[in-house]
Amino acid sequence: MEARSIWERMMRIDRRILYVILAVNIIAALMARVAIEPDVPPPVKRFYDTVEALQPGDMVMVSSTWSAGTLAENQPQFEAVLKHLMRKRVRFTIISFAPPARDISHRLARRIAEENGYVEGKDWAHFGYTPDIIIAIKGMSEDIVQTIRQDVRRVPIADLEVMRGVKSLKDYKLVVDVTPSDTLGNWISYRPPDLKILYCPTSVMAAEAYTFLDSGQILGMITGAKGAYEYERLLGIVGLGTRFINAIQFSHVLIIFFILLGNFGMLMQRRASAS
Amino acid sequence: MSYQHAEDNWFAAILIAFIALAVLVNIWRARRGKALYIRRIPGLDAIDEAIGRSTELGRPVTMIPGLTGFGVEAVQALTIFKYITKQIARFATPMRLLTANATVYAVAQEAIADAYNEAERPDLYDADSVRFLSSEQFAFASGVAGLIQRERVAANFMFGIFYAESLIFAETGNIVGAVQIAGTVSFTQVPFFVAACDYTIIGDEFYATSAYISREPVLLGSLVGQDLSKISFASMIVGGSMISTFIGTDHPIVQLLGKPQGWQPFVEWLSQVLGR
Amino acid sequence: MLFDTTQLVVALLWIAGAFALAIALIPLLGTLPPRGRFALISFVTFIAGLFFAAEFFLPVGEDNKNILTDPFQKMQGSLQVITALSLGLGTYGLVRLHLRNAVQRRPQWGYSLVLLVAFVVMAFFSIWNTMAEKGLFGIERTQLLENAFTLLFDYTLIQLDATMFSLIAFYIFSAAYRAFRIRSIEASILMFTAMLVMIGIVPLGKLISDSIGLPAVQTAEMRTNPFMLENILYNLRLPQIAGWIQETLNAPVQRAIEFGVGIGALAMAIRLWLSLERGIN
Repeated sequence: MEARSIWERMMRIDRRILYVILAVNIIAALMARVAIEPDVPPPVKRFYDTVEALQPGDMVMVSSTWSAGTLAENQPQFEAVLKHLMRKRVRFTIISFAPPARDISHRLARRIAEENGYVEGKDWAHFGYTPDIIIAIKGMSEDIVQTIRQDVRRVPIADLEVMRGVKSLKDYKLVVDVTPSDTLGNWISYRPPDLKILYCPTSVMAAEAYTFLDSGQILGMITGAKGAYEYERLLGIVGLGTRFINAIQFSHVLIIFFILLGNFGMLMQRRASAS
Repeated sequence: MSYQHAEDNWFAAILIAFIALAVLVNIWRARRGKALYIRRIPGLDAIDEAIGRSTELGRPVTMIPGLTGFGVEAVQALTIFKYITKQIARFATPMRLLTANATVYAVAQEAIADAYNEAERPDLYDADSVRFLSSEQFAFASGVAGLIQRERVAANFMFGIFYAESLIFAETGNIVGAVQIAGTVSFTQVPFFVAACDYTIIGDEFYATSAYISREPVLLGSLVGQDLSKISFASMIVGGSMISTFIGTDHPIVQLLGKPQGWQPFVEWLSQVLGR
Repeated sequence: MLFDTTQLVVALLWIAGAFALAIALIPLLGTLPPRGRFALISFVTFIAGLFFAAEFFLPVGEDNKNILTDPFQKMQGSLQVITALSLGLGTYGLVRLHLRNAVQRRPQWGYSLVLLVAFVVMAFFSIWNTMAEKGLFGIERTQLLENAFTLLFDYTLIQLDATMFSLIAFYIFSAAYRAFRIRSIEASILMFTAMLVMIGIVPLGKLISDSIGLPAVQTAEMRTNPFMLENILYNLRLPQIAGWIQETLNAPVQRAIEFGVGIGALAMAIRLWLSLERGIN
């Protein structure tokens, strides 16, 4: 009887106990100074190579639709991408299609720009929030000044030094879509044909993007905080991805352990019932 | 390559017209009395069972269309919820319909009021049972989770487009012991629903739901048209793979089937062939 | 100056005209018999759908536009107006419900009170902040506004949003523990696939593969001789297996489901356009 109850307990651990164990695991992993070199997957490598191939002065659009909810996944990506762009001395503009995304991305970009000697208006700009992504992409594909009109500081786009010689999205080399939602389909459908796309989704949304990677409609992808960690290793920097990776991987190990434990309990209980 | 207009790729436009034709022809056939078969979908059979359980327990039913903006998915979700409401009205079971989109909320109010009218129980309709919680993803998630916990719902129906909040709904429903049936076209959320719900309806089964529930000839005919289109697409894929294996991927026929800019080379090749 | 006077007058005339038209139409619709109403609505639906379909199929000029493209973009803008109006309706419904709960002291009215207070406070400071940003009515940013907006947005909203998202980590843990059992063949496949991907995509997967002696790098020789033992062993690395599952197993299934969903959506759209869909009517 007692043996059976052990297996039953193993199969039905109270979820509150599981949550406490996970919380302790994450806290311990965040504090641990374990560094494991990753196997950088091809989509991340291609992402890095595409940005690395840019020349100083090239224009890049960073589409930032993430907000506080997906901070842990999108912020590491966003920061790493901006640092890489600044390292390559390319010009970039940021646009947001969700209201909270505007302030978060603007503040982060300002902080990173100051650290890297980038001047807002001269080297980069933030176009603020635009409600309709389809209208925005179609409009920007024709005329950015008419579509956006002013940046987030209410400076007219036409007056920004960063926009010199840039009339539309056709003058951009690349768009980097950092998003937790399905904005990618809109970028693929409505962008100018020669505009390349790089994708930074949350881990959950990444599954949808492999078809586009396969067809070449997106050139590279970094997936969540884990992808940001791999990207940071390629860049040789320590960012949020590097700080979060231990929490991610040890949580995965914990989940696998408890899945196996639950199955072991189930099998032993079946055997005990049979006997 | 963008497909903003038919001229960007006429082959794609022709395929769209083909699908439309397949659907319309089969609707016509169904209206003429042709018996059409639809396979069993266990999740939809379980709807009545879930409603019955709620009635026995005296606990409410929740219906969540997710973060669906007003479009075909929302219409389909509301069609299903209207059916569920008509069943609920027979037993006077309390219900809550929780939306994250104000347009869907406005339409849902009318749809649910109609459902009670059609079930001849307009007295049971409570305008506060259809609620707009928030258009923000996680504010909506916390509102739904809180309501499910407080009211200890017995059945939870989730149909529509979902994102990361899907697991919050499903697991909260699981915590309170609700029977859960989910249907979504959001491919990435299917694993979460499979793990946490009793029944999951995936992909185009979601669009088949209204046909399955109502057995209306128009809807059944449309479903058959969709299936014929899918068979044609699959044949084109298999045929295209075989052709490209034998004649190479540069041939204009293969380019037509597989490349976004394939229409122009195909037309030029065809002109040359016919010109000979 | 918020608006140009002429623009304001023109806008007000348009709004008044739209109201007058709506007020005239509603009694007219009421006098029609149900079949007549249905016919009128079907006609309007058909014309509206025809507009979008025609814009897609009509040939375009050099500028990638046809005769309907510019009105099409304006129409999309008008959809935003409808969304904004319905947001007002939704907000009204929400506030009405919770105000009634609080005033009548219905069960759990405390939560309703919290919602109402939060709604008013957040709306007040957000509107103030937006007006200060745009310099409307001479309103400027004050220290109170800065502090309040930082407290509400940075220290409350962002943290609450992030907390709700992090709930998913805990929920997936309990869901996986409960659901991933060897109950059937399909459940077993699901479980093993999930475990392989979970361990393969993180650096630990590489560490485990290296520690059991699997080749770490795919050489040119291995690429040209895919059936050589080293290449087979290389492809048995956990990161390679996880990548294969994601790219080679997942992508075709995804495409298949997307085909079905796309065709289903198109069929549904045709039914709605031709008013063959009676579901919510």
